[in-house]
Amino acid sequence: MRGLIRNNFYTTLAGAKTFAGIAVLTGIFVVAMDNAVPSLVIGYMLLVMIGFSLNSIVGISKESTSKWGKYKLTAPVKKGDIVKSFFVSQLLWLAVGIAFAGVGVALSVALHGCPFDRDTDIFILFVAGTGISLFMGAIFFPLYFLGGEERHEVILVISLLGGIGVIMGLVTLINMIYPGRQTARQIVLNGIFMTACSAAAFAASCLLSVGVFQRREM
Amino acid sequence: MENILELRNLTKSYPKSGFTLEQVTFSLPYGSILGFVGENGAGKTTTIGCILNTVRKDSGTVKIFGKEMGDADTDIREKIGVVYDGDNFPGFWTAKQLSKVMEGLYKNWDQALFQKYLEDFQLPANQKIKRYSKGMTMKLAIAAALSHHPELLILDEATGGLDPVMRDDMLDVFLEFVQEENHSILLSSHITSDLEKVADYITFIHNGRLILTAAKDDLVYRYAVMRCRESQFQALDREDILAYRKRDMQIDVLVADGGKAQGKYKDVVVDHASVDEIMLLLVKGERA
Repeated sequence: MRGLIRNNFYTTLAGAKTFAGIAVLTGIFVVAMDNAVPSLVIGYMLLVMIGFSLNSIVGISKESTSKWGKYKLTAPVKKGDIVKSFFVSQLLWLAVGIAFAGVGVALSVALHGCPFDRDTDIFILFVAGTGISLFMGAIFFPLYFLGGEERHEVILVISLLGGIGVIMGLVTLINMIYPGRQTARQIVLNGIFMTACSAAAFAASCLLSVGVFQRREM
Repeated sequence: MENILELRNLTKSYPKSGFTLEQVTFSLPYGSILGFVGENGAGKTTTIGCILNTVRKDSGTVKIFGKEMGDADTDIREKIGVVYDGDNFPGFWTAKQLSKVMEGLYKNWDQALFQKYLEDFQLPANQKIKRYSKGMTMKLAIAAALSHHPELLILDEATGGLDPVMRDDMLDVFLEFVQEENHSILLSSHITSDLEKVADYITFIHNGRLILTAAKDDLVYRYAVMRCRESQFQALDREDILAYRKRDMQIDVLVADGGKAQGKYKDVVVDHASVDEIMLLLVKGERA
């Protein structure tokens, strides 16, 4: 697994460096700006969390430009581990995105105060960013392994929009179940519920992707 | 256990293209090089895919080190080095990064040996692979395949992109590799002259079927081409003819024993046959 994670790291490294540069510059701008209207902070948090995950997913399609995908199957690794490594890599890059978002929002709050009505809003933003990223990966990988190498751009867009759509659907569902202003406790529980749903979908997608990849020929 | 690799009645069909690999049977003894020859689309890469489990076979058996290799048999894959034609590795990596990845994949990855190959083959470690020439990428793939101390090398058109001088260097590397008695190479190639230099056995495949497997020395020293006129051809014993091909006023006839043919048909010119010529006669010629 170590070699596979390293492989995925080098595959996404160039894109991640570029994106990290943009994230730092954007972060400086967002932190420097007054956050009375919190849209910049919200946008930044979602951008970095989803962006790093997206870059990780894009990396897999770069492998199809050589025979490396086929070569890896001849190495002493199991097919299932190859698939799992992509999921693990996405989680690691999501963690990087969360770290960027955390630093950005912390500095903004430290300099300008909390821009949100309630502190729990920050928590919900982390939940949303994480959820969109996880659902995006959960949709992308099985579709890609089903033979989407030639259509990976379309699958990527579908996955991103699908991830956003599922999270919006979950938020709508929660708001329908708990109409009116929710308590802080309810918001936290709902956030945990959304994260659990995202994590379950991600795990189920991993198992499904392993099954699809096992039957794949190269 | 005599053979490092054994294929028995290997079959694989692609219904969409109509291609079928039919009952492919051959074996690769320890300490030897088997040349796997055939035209484009003959089934070489499919056969190699079935051996390496990147393609699922329909039926038949493939034994490597005496065992059928499944997905979980990573210990077997530790002992196999592979080189495909073209770009084996992502072009945006450097050889140094490749080495770090390989180090994590193979238990026996030998960093010092890889470094030595990079120096011997004059491959810059910090340059992106996409900046390498085709010959350099092939040399890098060969270096990577050898640097985890494999016992079986499977090379799919590995010398294709190399110029004659580089090819000769690589063939020397392969010959050195099989000096160890437990090392073997399956070398798929179009370049039959390479096989004449290094192979111990040669297997010809055409349209998914094996048409001939023989020791290279037999092919080079015993197989021959008789240059016949029509009347001479009609007088030949059909049992002596492996394949024949009509060319203008002459008919080239492939025979398995040139010496015997020379003695039997005294008025016919009998020439030594190159592997190239044998392949052409087997593929393009007709059977008696």
